[in-house]
Amino acid sequence: MSGTADLLLDVRGLEVDIPVAGGTLHAVRGISLAARRGETLCIVGESGCGKSLTSLALMGLLPPSAKRRAERLSFAGEDLLSASPRRLRALRGDRMAMVFQDPMTCLNPSLTIGDQLTETFLRHGKGNTRAARDRAVTLLERVGIAAAANRLGQYPHQLSGGLRQRVVIAMALMCGPDLVLADEPTTALDATIQLGILQLLAELQREMHMALVLVTHDLGIVARIADRVAVMYAGQVVEEGTVGDVFGAPRHPYTRGLMDCIPQPGRTVPGTRLGTIPGMVPSLVGELRGCSFRGRCPYAMPACAEPIALREGPDGHSWRCVLPAEALARAA
Amino acid sequence: MSPVPPILELRGVHKRYTVGAGLLARRRTLTAVSGVSLRLERSEVLGLVGESGCGKSTLARMILGLEEPSEGEVLLDGRPISRLGRLERGRLVQPVFQDPYSSLNPRRNVAAIIGLPLAVHGVGTAAERRDAVAEMLGLVGLAPRHAEAYPSQLSGGQRQRIAIARALVLRPTLVVCDEPTSALDVSVQSQILNLLLDLRERLGLSYLFISHNLAVVQMLAGRVAAMYLGRIVEEGEAERVLGHPRHPYTAALLASVLTPDPSLGLPEMRLGTAFPNPLSVPPGCAFHPRCPAVFDRCPREAPALLPCPEGGRAACHLIEQPEGGPPPPRLVQAA
Repeated sequence: MSGTADLLLDVRGLEVDIPVAGGTLHAVRGISLAARRGETLCIVGESGCGKSLTSLALMGLLPPSAKRRAERLSFAGEDLLSASPRRLRALRGDRMAMVFQDPMTCLNPSLTIGDQLTETFLRHGKGNTRAARDRAVTLLERVGIAAAANRLGQYPHQLSGGLRQRVVIAMALMCGPDLVLADEPTTALDATIQLGILQLLAELQREMHMALVLVTHDLGIVARIADRVAVMYAGQVVEEGTVGDVFGAPRHPYTRGLMDCIPQPGRTVPGTRLGTIPGMVPSLVGELRGCSFRGRCPYAMPACAEPIALREGPDGHSWRCVLPAEALARAA
Repeated sequence: MSPVPPILELRGVHKRYTVGAGLLARRRTLTAVSGVSLRLERSEVLGLVGESGCGKSTLARMILGLEEPSEGEVLLDGRPISRLGRLERGRLVQPVFQDPYSSLNPRRNVAAIIGLPLAVHGVGTAAERRDAVAEMLGLVGLAPRHAEAYPSQLSGGQRQRIAIARALVLRPTLVVCDEPTSALDVSVQSQILNLLLDLRERLGLSYLFISHNLAVVQMLAGRVAAMYLGRIVEEGEAERVLGHPRHPYTAALLASVLTPDPSLGLPEMRLGTAFPNPLSVPPGCAFHPRCPAVFDRCPREAPALLPCPEGGRAACHLIEQPEGGPPPPRLVQAA
């Protein structure tokens, strides 16, 4: 299942620096990720952890002021670091597509749904207008939009939030991409609508044998949809592995802490206090040494101020923490 | 009159808006809230749940006196809200809103923001107000030095603490929390929820806690009410409503809570894609086009909010069916 032929996205040591008033903000600090065909990888973390910048960096869509570096950044064996802007434009929307958080801001309010759906298809030379229209109708039906042919003439404001997000997903699928990168695709939606969108993404991912990279802050979504999960904190992946390993036996105190913060019906006793993570994320301006979580970590020790090596367990479970593996299991 | 009236009572409250009245456009009535009756006793937490557009925020605005009901009455501490003065009302009910980025004035410092309700109502001397602000900062877990800070210098969690301090400075009995943690990260959300629990215990507060997140409501609320297209469809003890929901809508809301348990996949939810539109409320039971248990009576007849054998009330024809009896639902094709 994890053969190299299926490896679509291969990222090693990705860094994103942003110049700010007081120096350089190291927003993404040396992360490594892999997304395979037929697999769902979730990148999870809280605001400011660098998860959205990571997804933009992967797509080559960073703002001009941001600096990207990596040891390796390849898509289906092709080096994206040395690819020309023209080549990147040819790949984006065709073989790698993106679904953004807010469907209201990523749809053009002055163009019809039909125009926006067919645009990518026509631009990438996938066929004529007729074929583009047929493909748009097929995909709108596939994402659960009734009377799809009639919708093509409608404008974004005529659709509800849930329908708009379905349109955005259909748009991403127009050219039959190998990789879909979705950044918080359901955050603006109601839980009931969110569930429908997630089911749809999971189904399409299986059906089209794509790699799905889902960026979210919601551990509940991750648990239910991911094969693998990368937990980000302060610009680094602090823990990565199969969702069963990471959620079942977290090795990093931050992952453990996040799990304890969530109220869970049937498990959290009403009126009892939830776990908290005291303190704040450290500033990422300037050089950071050692574990960036140590200021908030209940297990912090002198060794945490030294550079933390990546440790590895079975099934590719890896984490950046000096604690013995049993320490957190006992605390749970 | 009972010796201690409930802190909040809603009697058949309706709110209608006229929309689309323009050139060529037909005037249409949007019924945001339709015949809601609820009671909230002192020191109780009532969780109000429902999807966006169900009328829960409109209800909150009427309870805060920011909107007037088209019909029906809102009583605070047994007195109609329309007959209360501004200060009287402010001492009974205060809001905490969702977004601590837009609900705080960016050009005022924290002390001025928290002290504003006192200044507006001319409560106390300047020195007394300063003391009250300092006391509030301590109560919500902020340091005295934060008094001089501006909202832009603070984190989301700190801002929400300030919004809570501002709500409490007039010492209200009831706090209306409208999605107070929806804009926050989970590690911050848990701190704010813990703070709300602490404050309720210390000050004997009552909360109307509005949220779309049932996991959060379950943790705080003693009673829960679910709203759908302007109506209460189920209401009762939190343990009963969330443990054994009787209305298919409450059950669907509950099923959509994604707990971080990787042994469970995405739950099946048979709600379809029909989006509830308050401008065209379906006939009969408003939920019937999305209901997985719909039968022939549902589109014809609106169910009343009736007591359930297990306690609480639910508005569903199914509760009139004997339990364990013959299978009642003859399914009709949902539009």
